[in-house]
Amino acid sequence: MSKPVTIIMVEDDEGHARLIERNIRRSGVNNDIKPFTNGTEAVNYLFGSDGTGVCHKGNALLILLDLNLPDMTGIEILRRVKENQYLKCAPVVILTTTDDSHEIKRCYELGCNVYITKPVNYESFANAIRQLGLFFSVIQVPQATK
Amino acid sequence: MISLDKALLTVDATRRRAIGQILLLAAGFFVLVAISTTSVILVNQSRKDNGWVVHTVQVENQMNALLLEVHRAESATRGFLLTSEPRFRTEYETAAAAVVADVNKLKSLTGDNPVQIENVKRLQQPIDGRLKEFAQAIDFVNRKDTAGGIAVMREAVAHNLTQRMSDVVEDMRVEEGRLFAQRTGTADRTQQLASIVTVAGSGLVIALAAISILLVRRSSRARDDAEARLRDSNLNLEATVDERTADLREANDEIQRFAYIVSHDLRSPLVNIMGFTSELEQLRGEIFRRIAKLDHAGAPLAPADGGEVEPLLEGEDRQLSQDFAEALGFIKSSIGKMDRLISAILNLTREGRREFHPVKIDTRELIEGIVATVAHQASEAQAQIRIEPLPDIVSDRLAIEQIFSNLIDNALKYLKPGVPGDITIHARTKLGFAIFEIADNGRGIDPKDHQRIFDLFRRAGIQDRPGQGIGLAHVRALVRRLGGTMSVASELHHGSTFTITLPISWAASKRNGNT
Repeated sequence: MSKPVTIIMVEDDEGHARLIERNIRRSGVNNDIKPFTNGTEAVNYLFGSDGTGVCHKGNALLILLDLNLPDMTGIEILRRVKENQYLKCAPVVILTTTDDSHEIKRCYELGCNVYITKPVNYESFANAIRQLGLFFSVIQVPQATK
Repeated sequence: MISLDKALLTVDATRRRAIGQILLLAAGFFVLVAISTTSVILVNQSRKDNGWVVHTVQVENQMNALLLEVHRAESATRGFLLTSEPRFRTEYETAAAAVVADVNKLKSLTGDNPVQIENVKRLQQPIDGRLKEFAQAIDFVNRKDTAGGIAVMREAVAHNLTQRMSDVVEDMRVEEGRLFAQRTGTADRTQQLASIVTVAGSGLVIALAAISILLVRRSSRARDDAEARLRDSNLNLEATVDERTADLREANDEIQRFAYIVSHDLRSPLVNIMGFTSELEQLRGEIFRRIAKLDHAGAPLAPADGGEVEPLLEGEDRQLSQDFAEALGFIKSSIGKMDRLISAILNLTREGRREFHPVKIDTRELIEGIVATVAHQASEAQAQIRIEPLPDIVSDRLAIEQIFSNLIDNALKYLKPGVPGDITIHARTKLGFAIFEIADNGRGIDPKDHQRIFDLFRRAGIQDRPGQGIGLAHVRALVRRLGGTMSVASELHHGSTFTITLPISWAASKRNGNT
């Protein structure tokens, strides 16, 4: 039996993080959620102390990524994740306020799996996150192999 | 100001130089005329002087001729005395006649000189005497008394007439010699004067020409300098304009980026505010449901998921719940408004960053398309939209569409209530620009608001229509990017006319990427 999926949430705004977590939970997802409020911490966790990502071998990860981080852009993290041999299969969900078409295109080019713009309207926001939670509960996440 | 002063100075100098040139030319002309006149006078004078010199020579000639004739008469007389041949008598007669004629001629020649007149008078007597002696001698011979004739001739020597005659002639010669010297001197002086005048005049003319050439060269150098300065300042101006344009472009880019980042970053906390407000709303429902539950202990409760708990509450609790709901409502509506404003800024910056692609646009067809999309609103407002023939232009299609649809939308939105709307779109072309006018008979705009309506988030008149005050700001930004201008003419209650001037053929390269 595979390990349960860990959700890595990189979100600089703690309020957003809280709202996202709450709504994911409301949709019935009980997986472990690891929140990070800046890029550096997230990168350290993802790639480990040696920077290779080997520490996650055998883990199933799902990454929720905000693009506007105080210390680096989410795109940078996305690029590194998708270039890493252990992490490249982990689904990455971009969840950000930007709805610029260039940005969206760029993220998909780099290999992001889902791009969601945070709606300001809370009803829509809550709805989007709950649906995302439902999505999480049905998708298959591969383990980091090799 | 400095350059203006310099320009004025230059103009002054130029005028002075022009006047100097004219004066120089006039002076040169005068000198030439003076030289010519003086030359003519002097040449005449010289001819006269020469005439007098010739005259003197003639007088001398005449005197010599006279003496010769007298001697001829004498010789002929002597010959006749010796040979009594009539040949000599004839000779004598001819010579005597010639002597008389010569004396008369001499008299007329010397008529101008009192001294010579006197001399001629003095000469007359001995000549007459001599001729008389000759005549007497000839007479004696004619009477065959040759000895008597010879005696007359011998006697004549004693009379010394020949000597007197020679003396007088010598006097006359001296006088004529004096006159000759005097007249030659005068003629020489006149000629000298003439040559001096000519040389001096020519020198003056050459000097004037030299000055003139100098002035012309100086003025042409000044002109060259001015041209060079003008070229320099033109170049400078272009460089300055380029620099400023680059600065403006940079500033504009900066503002665009700033607006984008700010609106973006503002959105993030807004999500939190909205989110937690919604959470609060849910909590409120929860709390008041519990209060109701406590109040109606044991009573049947409304379904748990319903937000509406007020019917279950009474008195103060109900009031509290309503206040709570009202406060949350205000927060949410404000957030909604703020979100719309931020979205508007984002859209504007996005529009500002969009690249324009000029294509040929059938303007009439495009506007008919816009009118078709607002047909429903138009019929609701009982408005008719008339489109007059419009010129085709080359521009960005989407931008043009946004411009006209905003303006037509506005015209429909702000019609006078109860008055059927009448909106006209017409255009004319002028100097490579197409001037579009969108006129309506709506409520109009107070002239003091004409500037304000183009500002972002600013509106004018009665606020009875939804809107953020973005449309016209956006339209004007688009028109500017397309290399055009826009203005409004309107009075309150008398309709408005928006005028848009766009280049007929807009080249993207000129302004693309600078906003």
